[in-house]
Amino acid sequence: MMSDEKIKLTKKDRRHAAVRYNFMACNIFNYESQMGPAVAWALAPALRKIYPNDDEYEMALENHFNYYNSTTVMSSLILGASLAMEERDGIGAKDAVQSLKTSLMGPMAGVGDTLVWVLWPTIMGSISGYMALQGNPLGAIVWLIANIVFWFVKLKMFDVGFTSGTKLITSLGERLNIFTESASIVGLSVVGALVATVVKISMPVIFQFGKVKLNLQTGVFDKIMPALLPALLTLLIYKLLGNKKWTPTRIILLVIGISLVGTFFGIFKA
Amino acid sequence: MTGINLIQDILIIILAAYMTVDQNGLVIMSWFPVIVGTITGIIMGDLTTALTIAGTFQLMMLGVAALGGASAPNYGLATIVGIFVAVRTGTGIKSAIAVGLPVGLLAIQLEVVARIIVNFLAHRMLTDVKNHDFKKMQREAWWGPALFSLQTGLPAILIVFFGPDVVKFILTVVPSWVTDGLTVAGGMLPVVGVGMLLRYMPVKKFLSYIIVGFVLAAYLKVGVLGVALIGFAAAYWYFISESKKVTSAATNTNAVSEDEGDDYDE
Repeated sequence: MMSDEKIKLTKKDRRHAAVRYNFMACNIFNYESQMGPAVAWALAPALRKIYPNDDEYEMALENHFNYYNSTTVMSSLILGASLAMEERDGIGAKDAVQSLKTSLMGPMAGVGDTLVWVLWPTIMGSISGYMALQGNPLGAIVWLIANIVFWFVKLKMFDVGFTSGTKLITSLGERLNIFTESASIVGLSVVGALVATVVKISMPVIFQFGKVKLNLQTGVFDKIMPALLPALLTLLIYKLLGNKKWTPTRIILLVIGISLVGTFFGIFKA
Repeated sequence: MTGINLIQDILIIILAAYMTVDQNGLVIMSWFPVIVGTITGIIMGDLTTALTIAGTFQLMMLGVAALGGASAPNYGLATIVGIFVAVRTGTGIKSAIAVGLPVGLLAIQLEVVARIIVNFLAHRMLTDVKNHDFKKMQREAWWGPALFSLQTGLPAILIVFFGPDVVKFILTVVPSWVTDGLTVAGGMLPVVGVGMLLRYMPVKKFLSYIIVGFVLAAYLKVGVLGVALIGFAAAYWYFISESKKVTSAATNTNAVSEDEGDDYDE
């Protein structure tokens, strides 16, 4: 049965889909289709309204089961836009929906991951981490409240994607690269500061030449430049990470090994 | 006394199990040590110890991000079990690092296992759709979060039941240079996250900004927020000037902007 009458999704339907997606996101994550099943599950009730016909509904769902992965905030935008396409054109939009998703998930993840998973946790983490060390939970509480606010931002992004559609995303796409690079500039400045403050390594070994005592850390390294050892260690780890054999887990074990040996021989002090 | 302990045990297991489900979806508490650690501290009734441990793991975790489906050491789980053991045994931060770090590292393996099992679930859901059994697909999806909750829930159960006794035994057997060495490692480990961050980001193009950040913090003792603001100033200027280039290039020739569009497809 083919009918020309348009099915309109209500605001509640859209909000429901956004909530379902942002809850399930990586909770059905697998190595084959990654976020695919979560996308299909999240959009299922809304798609059911668009496709009362079982065969069309099946095709639409299968389409969403395909490989998909992006940052959830940005995904909300993409999935909102693709749901709008299906509402307008029905199952005829299937291929357009698929190509919209695959072409945008990469660049969107680029900017989303930089902001959501790199920049924000790094800045918040270093501020609230130091506060916590001083026994102050304020940083953690602010972070928690901010995350609750972000939850509503994500739901809003789904609506923005739905109402302004593909036009907004493609026009955003042209500047996305510059935006990602700008975010990287903030990120790298912060990383530079972290090397100097958060990475802690010192070698307070004391050499004695006759009556002259020389502390390796305060007498030599600190005289050359502050945070010399952290900078050198960072360079070493950065080089190691470029080698496929050195996974982060192995490097963590290496650092623990060096610390144990160094502490045993009294080179490092706790 | 034992009644309170039992309630704490149950809450800790629920917290650990819920953490992964939250991190995979809602990202409200997520797996960030200071947030998770504050909640653990309230449960265990010792916020001071909890915050010290949480802060230590938080700094270790800086830069560690599981991007594009990769796995990373679970410092959130390390924080929960570390605080639990430290408060329950009264042994403080040293035992927290000694127990938390290995558990956080082992959690990576469990995540890989969970994702492989979920692969079967994904196929079952797809089969349901093909059989037009749509309701069943909707129901079965809930196995996903249930399985992922075990990724951190199971280690927490083991630690809650055996942790404190094992830790008390280990601390009597292990010499002090080992626990001291682990504390030293705790100070050094943020370097791994920093290194990973540098690998994700365009280091060669923007090396100058790393140096600026380093000098501001090491020589001038500017705090992280101050450095971020200076970075933001530079980023803002970069964004404005580069955006102008794009718009002027687009109005000059359409061919140029089409060429640039190709880059995004890679």
